[in-house]
Amino acid sequence: MSKLPIRLTVNGDSHEVSVEPRKLLSDVLREDLRLTGTHVGCEHGVCGACTVLVDGAPTRACLIFAIQMEGREITTVEGLTPAEGLSPLQQALHEEHGLQCGFCTPGIVTTFEAYLRENPDPTEADIREVLAGNLCRCTGYQNIVRAIGKAAKAMREGATT
Amino acid sequence: MSNVKAEDTRREGFDQIGKPIPRKEDARLLRGKGTYVDDIEIPGALHACFVRSPYAHARIAGFDLDEARGMPGVVVVITGHEINEWTNGLRMAPPIEGLLPTEMTTLPVDKVRFHGDPVVCVVATDRYLAEDAAELVYVDYEVLDAVASYEAALAEGAPLVDETLTTNLVSHQTFEAGDIARRKAEAHRIVEAKFAMQRMTHLPIETRGCIALWDDGREHLTMHIGSQAPHPMRSALAGRLKLAEHQVTVASPDVGGGFGQKIIVYREEITVAALARHLKRPVRWREDRLENLSASLQARENTVRTCAAVDKEGRILSLEAEIMEDFGAYCFYPANYLARVIGMILTGPYRIQDYAFEVKIALTNKCGAGPMRAPMAITSLVMDGTLDAVARELDLDPAEVRRVNMLRPADLPYLMPTGERLEDVTPSECFERGLEEIDYAGFRVKQAADRESGIYRGIGICNVVESTTYGSAFYKAAGIPGSGHEAAWVKVEPSGSIRASAGLMGTGQSYETPYAQAVAEGLGVDAAQVDILLGNTDIAPYGMGARGGRGATAGGGTLFLTALDLKAKMLDIAAALLDLNSASELEMKGGKVLRHVGGEWSETGLGLGDIARTAYLDPLKLPEGMQPGLEMHRAWDPPQMTYSNATHICQVTLDPATGRIDIDRYLVVEDCGTVLNPLVVDGQQQGATVMGIGGVLFEHMVYDESGQNLCGTLADYMIPTACEAPVIEIIGQHTPNRRTPAGIKGMAEGGIMGAIGAVNNAVNDALRPFGVVADRQPLSPDYIRSLLRGAAR
Repeated sequence: MSKLPIRLTVNGDSHEVSVEPRKLLSDVLREDLRLTGTHVGCEHGVCGACTVLVDGAPTRACLIFAIQMEGREITTVEGLTPAEGLSPLQQALHEEHGLQCGFCTPGIVTTFEAYLRENPDPTEADIREVLAGNLCRCTGYQNIVRAIGKAAKAMREGATT
Repeated sequence: MSNVKAEDTRREGFDQIGKPIPRKEDARLLRGKGTYVDDIEIPGALHACFVRSPYAHARIAGFDLDEARGMPGVVVVITGHEINEWTNGLRMAPPIEGLLPTEMTTLPVDKVRFHGDPVVCVVATDRYLAEDAAELVYVDYEVLDAVASYEAALAEGAPLVDETLTTNLVSHQTFEAGDIARRKAEAHRIVEAKFAMQRMTHLPIETRGCIALWDDGREHLTMHIGSQAPHPMRSALAGRLKLAEHQVTVASPDVGGGFGQKIIVYREEITVAALARHLKRPVRWREDRLENLSASLQARENTVRTCAAVDKEGRILSLEAEIMEDFGAYCFYPANYLARVIGMILTGPYRIQDYAFEVKIALTNKCGAGPMRAPMAITSLVMDGTLDAVARELDLDPAEVRRVNMLRPADLPYLMPTGERLEDVTPSECFERGLEEIDYAGFRVKQAADRESGIYRGIGICNVVESTTYGSAFYKAAGIPGSGHEAAWVKVEPSGSIRASAGLMGTGQSYETPYAQAVAEGLGVDAAQVDILLGNTDIAPYGMGARGGRGATAGGGTLFLTALDLKAKMLDIAAALLDLNSASELEMKGGKVLRHVGGEWSETGLGLGDIARTAYLDPLKLPEGMQPGLEMHRAWDPPQMTYSNATHICQVTLDPATGRIDIDRYLVVEDCGTVLNPLVVDGQQQGATVMGIGGVLFEHMVYDESGQNLCGTLADYMIPTACEAPVIEIIGQHTPNRRTPAGIKGMAEGGIMGAIGAVNNAVNDALRPFGVVADRQPLSPDYIRSLLRGAAR
């Protein structure tokens, strides 16, 4: 299969890469752009580790081809991380011990950075329902849920001050 | 200078140990800057892909590889005929009575033994091309009858999984203590019960994978691979590749979960390493999820039958257990390894001396089995489930039956019938506290009232005695080969910066932070100053790795002792600098040297930096005969076994119409000794408990009768999501161990043992009005409904 040049906008930067049309977005991000924060856990859309934002919406990078992403804005965990320190969500995950092996974590960060923007004051049940799209084998989710609630509060307070 | 003794280090009031310090590793992992195997960029690396058997059992009649070899980008397509020439096989033949020796080649060439068995390896310039070519590999199979269950494997005339044996019963052991026949004759009642756990898999979210780099000039292999036990893996790799140990470096980067799946070196990884050496080019492999589900290690699938002789109060006079396990097609571990531990510790926190067990392990045409987080997971379910069976048959309260059998503080230390010594555990304290916290009596009243209105609630109790740290003496007593020691080094460098390492490697257990606390406590500095280096065998000392619940005791404990030894040297230097005859009045705290004079501690003006500078750069000021530098290395072998204990209590509601089970409340009262970092300990217990709940309710690696694996995706093999995971309430009431450094005991597997028992017992309590008992897991709605339909008839 021959390679085609495509232009991708990732974390605000424009990249020209030459890839086979069948190459997954997850693989192009990781291999061609060396953005290895996006993890691949199942390659069939269940585990959520590869979640990135496409035009701001959480999307499984293992279920789409990179070539479909021309003209779209892609955001990965690297793009959601401040130049210095951590985002309020990342900081809350740190303080509440919301990660252990850390492999599923980037997918959770991307999902909830987007979710909390649109839903600044979720209930615990809301958080659990959205988090059900990301599998974590280490934590039992309890501290992740608590961290997201804490981050939501911090972000609400940050927005009003 | 003599080494500090472990038993002299238990005390009240630690400075660094016990603080809830958020983790050091978080910063890189949260920012997407972790380094997992597949994140490592290796220019020019080739990609391997394995062709696997579609059959559970088949003779290999031939290969046709020409078409695959002609595909674009393909570098080599290879079978066991070559790989087995370049590598040694795995002979599993420890001197264990009743265990049959087995042997496997790196890749099978005569027959395949399970659905997913690797037979051909394709190496190409990228992963997509390797997978394209793998599609065009033809293997000619003659399909054989398969055995896909323990019963089928042991049936008369069953096909042999391993044709070098004369039976599929690969391991058979018995044990008896006391006088069972006499106790049974004296008994008021004989109560029989059965417990069965289904086949499961570890399911780390990061699958397996590796990168093999062969330096042809130095004749050296560097293996980047997620490993729980880098040094034993290095030894195994060297042996299998016909290399000397010093020719192999294992470099384990960040690891995305292990749970027991990333301890041994697998056939795929040996193949990849052999190909890197053969091709003199780097080769990498990333297992996909289908491979992980069908051909990585699997676990559990054991059935235990118990027979208890009891008196009128439900007191156990004798207990017999028959432990059966389906071990799959290959012995990557000694087949008796897991079941034997179940037998050794089964009686848990109960007063039982007349005890017998029998272990029977069968080979089947399924993926090989091995340890998964809490390899002895079924133990507490079997013991507490047996007590529940006694309570049902004698119409007694399940809590009361536990109470009459439970070890009291005055019974400790207690020698279990297998010779295992229980001490510094608090089963009755945790149990009573749990009943009080959950308002057990109040629940019973509510339960009875709710049943009148058609709401079926249940409560389940599980008292866990968790074997955490296995010393060498345990392995010897259990007849299992292995050492329980761990090694560490601690260095203070010329500027005063501190680095330390141990032989364990974390796969999510958060070692970097609690280990820094253990070292900091030992040295008398702040944990933030300590850099922990793990996973690279050129850096880490030779230790036995992460397995069981040994991380805190073996890893943290050895680091703490090493740091104490190094502190003693530093204080000797301080004494010399202060012109004192001895360091007996000196102590280090917060990196400063303090002196105890006139009943008070006062600063001496000396600090870590002064001592480090002297040790490295001004050695003539050192005490006479002392070597320059500040590096300490030591090993420590834990006692035969350390035990933690816990009481898990779970409340459920059962919907008889659908078979659905909801967990309404989940409580753990835990005693795991001195806690290095409570944030980490709570996190481990929450995670373990939810993993156990997944096992009780959802997870099931299903094979059909012909041995076809039916769980190829994460939509088939279901683990708990955030919606199914309850809040785990944890109460810690910790008692230090008297024989370990700082009194550490370890934990992180007991949550699984407790959940498996507490949830199952709670469901059976809810099922009580229907007169049925769930005796196998998972407790799926289908299974619960089938029980209730049977009850209705």
